[in-house]
Amino acid sequence: METLKLRKITSVWIIIVLTLFVVAIVLGILMRLNQGEIIQQSPITFYGNMTTHGLTMIGIWFVAGMAAVNYLLERYVKTSYAANLFALALTVIGVLMLWCSTFIGEFHAGWTFLYPLPFKIMWAEWATPLFLSSLGVLGLGWLVWSISLMAQILKKYSISQAFAWQHFSKNPKVETPPFILITMITLIGVIACLIAAVILLILFFIEYFSNGSFVNDALLMKNLTYFFGHTIANEMLYLGLAVIYELFAEVSGRPKWHTTWYVALAWNLSLIFILTAFFHHLYMDFVQPEGLQIIGQIASYLASLPAAGVTVFSILVAVYRNKINWSLTNLLFFIGVAGWVIGGLGAVIDATISNNFILHNTLWVPAHFHTYNAMGNVLFSLAFFHWFSNQYYHHKERQNTLKLSILLIGGAGFLLAFYIGGAESIPRRYSTYPSDLPMGATLASIAALFASLYLIAILIFFFNISKKCLKILSSSPQSS
Amino acid sequence: MQQSILMLFLGLLAISIIVFTYVYQSSQKATDLDRGMANPLKSRFWFLLILFVILGIFASVTIPKSPYYFYADETPSRVVHVAAKQFAFVLSNNAIDPKNPVGENAIELLENELVEFRVTSFDVNHGFAIYNKAGQLIAQTQAMPGYVNKLRWKFSEPGAYSILCLEYCGMAHQIMRSSFTVK
Amino acid sequence: MISFVSTNVKGQIASSGWKEEDRIYSKVFDAPLSGKQLRKGTTLYQVTSQKPTVLALIFTRCTGVCNPFLLELKENIELRTNEKNFNILVMSFDPRDTEKDLDDLAMRFGLSEDKRWEFAVTDSIRSLVQSIGFKPVWDSLRQQYDHDALLIGINSEGYITKKLIGIRNNADLGLLLASIQDSFTPTYRMANPNMLFPCFNYDVKTGKNTPGLGLIFVALPALIAMVIVLSVNFFVRVNRI
Repeated sequence: METLKLRKITSVWIIIVLTLFVVAIVLGILMRLNQGEIIQQSPITFYGNMTTHGLTMIGIWFVAGMAAVNYLLERYVKTSYAANLFALALTVIGVLMLWCSTFIGEFHAGWTFLYPLPFKIMWAEWATPLFLSSLGVLGLGWLVWSISLMAQILKKYSISQAFAWQHFSKNPKVETPPFILITMITLIGVIACLIAAVILLILFFIEYFSNGSFVNDALLMKNLTYFFGHTIANEMLYLGLAVIYELFAEVSGRPKWHTTWYVALAWNLSLIFILTAFFHHLYMDFVQPEGLQIIGQIASYLASLPAAGVTVFSILVAVYRNKINWSLTNLLFFIGVAGWVIGGLGAVIDATISNNFILHNTLWVPAHFHTYNAMGNVLFSLAFFHWFSNQYYHHKERQNTLKLSILLIGGAGFLLAFYIGGAESIPRRYSTYPSDLPMGATLASIAALFASLYLIAILIFFFNISKKCLKILSSSPQSS
Repeated sequence: MQQSILMLFLGLLAISIIVFTYVYQSSQKATDLDRGMANPLKSRFWFLLILFVILGIFASVTIPKSPYYFYADETPSRVVHVAAKQFAFVLSNNAIDPKNPVGENAIELLENELVEFRVTSFDVNHGFAIYNKAGQLIAQTQAMPGYVNKLRWKFSEPGAYSILCLEYCGMAHQIMRSSFTVK
Repeated sequence: MISFVSTNVKGQIASSGWKEEDRIYSKVFDAPLSGKQLRKGTTLYQVTSQKPTVLALIFTRCTGVCNPFLLELKENIELRTNEKNFNILVMSFDPRDTEKDLDDLAMRFGLSEDKRWEFAVTDSIRSLVQSIGFKPVWDSLRQQYDHDALLIGINSEGYITKKLIGIRNNADLGLLLASIQDSFTPTYRMANPNMLFPCFNYDVKTGKNTPGLGLIFVALPALIAMVIVLSVNFFVRVNRI
């Protein structure tokens, strides 16, 4: 059963995430404005902002998912407050270290910090070890948190129950709630990708301290980098899905969702696909063994089957011709799933090697992952934040249509500019576009405009939700 | 080809939006008596089967078109060595010595001859991306330090081609480029 | 599993760097050959047009790398008993070497009767080595040539498709044989002696490649995660009891 302490720490997470989100969006808008030639930043500033923007976004939506899952997990098992607090402290410290390396040290190797770029130092000497250490700090906090949550699940459910294997037989004696199944599967993926990051950082530091007498294999480092990067972004989405499985029916006034054999099958299989899909980031590295490239395409394709056939289909079935108590919470969940589907379409297209040949590292890539995030996972988390804060300070929802419309129009325009840019072969990660690709600047200016609309909607959410969360923070046991 | 990809995407996007909107509206109109979808398990099974078949078709059609197999059984008549570094491309008809990288200023290729680009990097990951004069990306491969990637291509259109760096490599990534002509 | 990995990593073999790149896809000089098994007037193109050819350049008075180089080549070819779709042509670049010297060499190595091996000399040494980009340096003090151990792959049209410098293992030879059959591999790795945990280890001194720890590293995070899950489960159960 949830305690006041858990309520408060979740409120702190929410406020931190929303605050950092606003800052990161502003950095993003500045980037598009620079690309649109409306403002002029030096390339170092641009690329530093790009590095900060990317890592901050991935980080905050990951911890948002973890915080939501931790809070809901308390319904089933006793979670560790210490681990939650530890992760919070290390996240704050890690983010501050990261920002120090980028804003002050001018570190700008990108959020993928692709080896050996962090070692080609065109910034303050200390920024490279500080940046790598910030990742270590973040990773440590998150690893402890993930293992702790998983340990709590395993205290109540055996391994086979946590994987819901008993649902493959008729009339299982113990029921594994879908939330537990998805959380367990997702946490394993999270732990795996954080371990990859640990190995990656160890290899970085060995080379750093060896003063050039040891050199890493660039291909291995790239594989580890994308194992970490792809998987953490993917799992971030799945943490949001766990929340949907738990809350959607409840909020909509529908019967609770149960694990069936096909839900269990889908999620068990998805673990395999997620751990192997990351190869799709290396298609254009012809050095990569061909078998792994093909595994990348097949796994990326197959990952869409449980996603579409189980989760998305379940949401649609739950809503189709059923009386739903629509509120902002489940509307955000529902629209978020649509956004996730659309991002998935762009992703599967790009995960096809022959398409990737002409789309890789164009704006198509940020198009699909910004869709997954800005129109998918962000909405999942906002839905949870809204629901959570409303548990304790309920007030009448006003102007939902207006808030959602601004969010959707802003998001759609911003994303379409990316997709069109990708089709026009505009490169990604360019601080300014060459004069022989004039569409680049035009699309960037339009994108900045729509992104500002999106920001306005987010600010509305930010104020509404943070106000309630601050009240939760200042509440005492009696007032709850 | 990019245009047909965009059209495919926009088409699927429209379908998704229509489906979600339709489902949403059906719930708005639903009363307490409505029971939702009849036989969802059967519909789910068919949906999954159709999706699996579509993905299977796409996979079997597109995988053989991967760049790893281009012109695999022909002998190239031309080799262009490419070494990328922060922040320039060195192009040469001969192998490039890392200790003394010397390139050629004007690489000229012939229309329809099979060219093999051998691409490597002297420092960080770069991208070797060929753009035609209409500003369209037509071929690419990565330039990775310590490895050589071989890209085989035939240029069917004469004219000037640009090479852009397409893998983020630092503060001058956006101005790192080169060019060659096809006669 | 292992053969899946090994066949799919055939593109990963290290080269000695950029020197092996030189003269690829250029035509080798059509040198006139004389050897015990060759008809009078045979030229190099006639040999290669019959079957794609692996050319090994040595000289019989060599006290350095030639013998171990040929021995390694012989052993590797012996492992490929069923592969008959190529020739091996051993030629001397030393003007002092005669047809008889090469015959004796063949006998010493027990290769006189092996149909896949041919031994020959040419009187157009300079044109041949120039077309290959091979530059032996004469050391008058030791009366020896200073040279690379070099294998050249020539396809049936006379084009050089691949070079291997140094004493190379069977996997590298396999790549060379594939290249003369016009089988395309989209990549290969360059040598860096200090590389940590590479996918493949290349020893510059012996020129050998073995699979490296790096290959396992890609699978390691998932394996470690599974170990963690099982360990946590174990400790949780133990504490409960």
